[in-house]
Amino acid sequence: MITTDELQINIGPQHPSTHGVFRMLLTVDGETVVHLEPVFGYLHRNHEQLAEVNTYLQNMPYTDRLDYFNSMANNHAYALAVEKLAGIEVPERAEYIRVLMVELTRILNHAGALGFMINDMGAWQTPLAFGIREREKILDLFELVSGARMMCNYFRFGGVVRDIPDEFIPRMKKLMIAMPAYMDELERLLRENEILLARSEGIGILPREVAVSYGVTGPVLRGSGIAYDIRKAEPYSIYDRFDFDVPVGSVGDVYDRFLVRIEEMRQSRRILEQIIEQLPDASGGHINPKARQNVRPPVGDAYARVESPKGELGFYLVSDGGTKPYRYKVRAPSFINLTPLGDMCRGYKVADIVVILGSIDIVMGEVDR
Amino acid sequence: MYDVVDFLLNTQLGLNSPDWVVMLISHLVVVGMLFAVAPLQVLFLTYYERRAIARMQDRVGPNRVGYEGLLQPVADGVKMFTKEDIVPDSADKIVHLLAPIVAAAPVLYMFAVLPWGPNMIAVDLPTGLLFFFAISSISTVGLLMAGWASNNKFALLGAMRAVAQVVSYEIPALLSLLFAVMFAGSMSLMAIVEAQGGLFISTTDVPSVPDLGLGWFVFTPVGFLAFVCFFIAALAEGERTPFDIPEADSEIVAGYMTEYSGMKFAMFYLAQYILNFLLCAITATIFFGGWQGPGVAWLVSQSLSADNPAGNPVYNVLAGMLGTFYLLAKTYMFFFVMVALRGAFPRLRIDQLMNFGWKFLIPLTMINILSAALWIAITRWGTAQGFGIIEFAGEPGNLVRWVIAFAVTLVINVAAYWFLARLNVQDHAARQAALTAGGLAVSPPRSA
Repeated sequence: MITTDELQINIGPQHPSTHGVFRMLLTVDGETVVHLEPVFGYLHRNHEQLAEVNTYLQNMPYTDRLDYFNSMANNHAYALAVEKLAGIEVPERAEYIRVLMVELTRILNHAGALGFMINDMGAWQTPLAFGIREREKILDLFELVSGARMMCNYFRFGGVVRDIPDEFIPRMKKLMIAMPAYMDELERLLRENEILLARSEGIGILPREVAVSYGVTGPVLRGSGIAYDIRKAEPYSIYDRFDFDVPVGSVGDVYDRFLVRIEEMRQSRRILEQIIEQLPDASGGHINPKARQNVRPPVGDAYARVESPKGELGFYLVSDGGTKPYRYKVRAPSFINLTPLGDMCRGYKVADIVVILGSIDIVMGEVDR
Repeated sequence: MYDVVDFLLNTQLGLNSPDWVVMLISHLVVVGMLFAVAPLQVLFLTYYERRAIARMQDRVGPNRVGYEGLLQPVADGVKMFTKEDIVPDSADKIVHLLAPIVAAAPVLYMFAVLPWGPNMIAVDLPTGLLFFFAISSISTVGLLMAGWASNNKFALLGAMRAVAQVVSYEIPALLSLLFAVMFAGSMSLMAIVEAQGGLFISTTDVPSVPDLGLGWFVFTPVGFLAFVCFFIAALAEGERTPFDIPEADSEIVAGYMTEYSGMKFAMFYLAQYILNFLLCAITATIFFGGWQGPGVAWLVSQSLSADNPAGNPVYNVLAGMLGTFYLLAKTYMFFFVMVALRGAFPRLRIDQLMNFGWKFLIPLTMINILSAALWIAITRWGTAQGFGIIEFAGEPGNLVRWVIAFAVTLVINVAAYWFLARLNVQDHAARQAALTAGGLAVSPPRSA
């Protein structure tokens, strides 16, 4: 019998597939993972403390930088928290525009995440290029409404910065016609490719009990078979008006998470279709309540959460009656979803780790604040 | 080459040079050409690959340096030369220096036995095929040295993977090539190419068939199966996607190359691309007739040689050019397949790679050797050798024997493939069942 020693490897902080500055302290026996400890904090930039010296509105662009893939969803969660704290009403049309932007964000996030995941499996950038190509088209729309592609800073307390331009809806309709084709294409990539199946089926299983005990949310939780979606569980904004399904997986492996994301993209498209039908015309009221931009909420606290593409994104705000939040806390889905990584990776091969990490879909800007 | 040089020096210029001078000059010309061509090929291959993959990804690819970016490889080369050579403090300096040389040098030797055209070969070794693969395995030592000397865990893991992979895929690669040795009756690559002249049934030695140079081994069931197995093994051996595990950039950074920079890195890169080019060339040579193709045989018959002193040396050159064109065209076709695979597929895991090699590829190639023996038995042996089936058919013609051989080997190979594929699928299903038994059911997501 050959005696083997365990080897400790640092994957990261500088590594091609850690999606940012993230370290995995890895103990391997040959190629098999014995222990994995996620180490983060390298990207800490004092986000929460910084928010306490800024006014409420000044924090809005900072939330863009949390999860830089989904600035719209971050804006939404923060705007909801402040509105809850200050008791601000949002006009009908603004609500629709907000949900429209957030659902577009979900599609672009999932398209990118799936591309990155297959890239981690070793496909030389082709699936990634396909995902990014679709993402770019949606970013064009964001540029149209907000002037920025990624750091949109589009939401305001009680509305959005400005109304959508006239050409927005026709362009979005055109984009939506093309959507089912590439969603099917992405799905076929997995379902009809033997190598992808071999690399994803039964890999990185997160049992439902474990997922719940870690507080995992989003597609990772739904991949484990729990139909928990805040849009359904605690409808915020106007989500109770739309008809959509929550896809769930059954095993909780990489394969399930992949399929859940594909299905979520389809469901988001369904919501977009309903928004286009129901969208009230601009005469229904203003969208940019200028008077309310410097809010001074009453003393108290508020927690608002949204189903961001990565999971439950929550903002907890405490107000002392001033123009700045007394306490500002972000419940970041990437951070919580990353914590069970050690459990998910134990017993698998080194090559599986990056795939599992890719299937969680993290953005380090959100993990380290 | 000897004939042409002899013609130029002695017949045309009347120098009456002795035999060894002619020999020396012809060899120098060949060697010079080979070593000028090899690096240029590699330069072009990188450009070719980048443009092809860019096409697959809706991009344009390098198109700035020179016409349509054709000089991009030169720019890359200059950049490589000017890079600082970094050696880690804790590295084993001598081994670290030697590793790229050990990896790159043997690969250049492999050019020596590759037939480029009729009579165009640097050394027509009687054991050319063996030499080719024996030399290619030496390169692996260089990879292990690199991984070990770097004193880096990623490099070590990469080197371990590289050795495990190359060692296990040499076996199916060589087993799948055995059939060519049996068909041609020689290990000389020249003899193997020459055996692929004529038409499909020329392996039965029909003199009346016109020599179109299309008697490629791949047109037999034995050759086809061997081709598929060999090409897969070649992908693993050349560390190409989906088997680029030793340098899996998303897992272990760059594998054994992690701690290399500048020209040392370029040496690994060069070695790898030359190896890939040569693996494609050897695929073309053994399965697709190498330089054989319509017209080459006719040009050769018109050319000057010891048997045909009245021939015209122009035809020697033309035959060589046409043969080289055929070989390169086939080689680039296979290289394109490699590139397309890289653009399309993710990589396998190391254990899946091993399973595939040992449980599927090796049994399949072994059965293929049996098929090859049967093919030879049926097509070559007459009633004089007392082979039962032939006697039963009653002195059949060559064509009938060819058809019988085709049918028999086809049945054996398809059955073998089907059986092994089923075995491996069952293996997969068993694992899935074990998963289900653990209280989990694999099914597509349902809407809730």
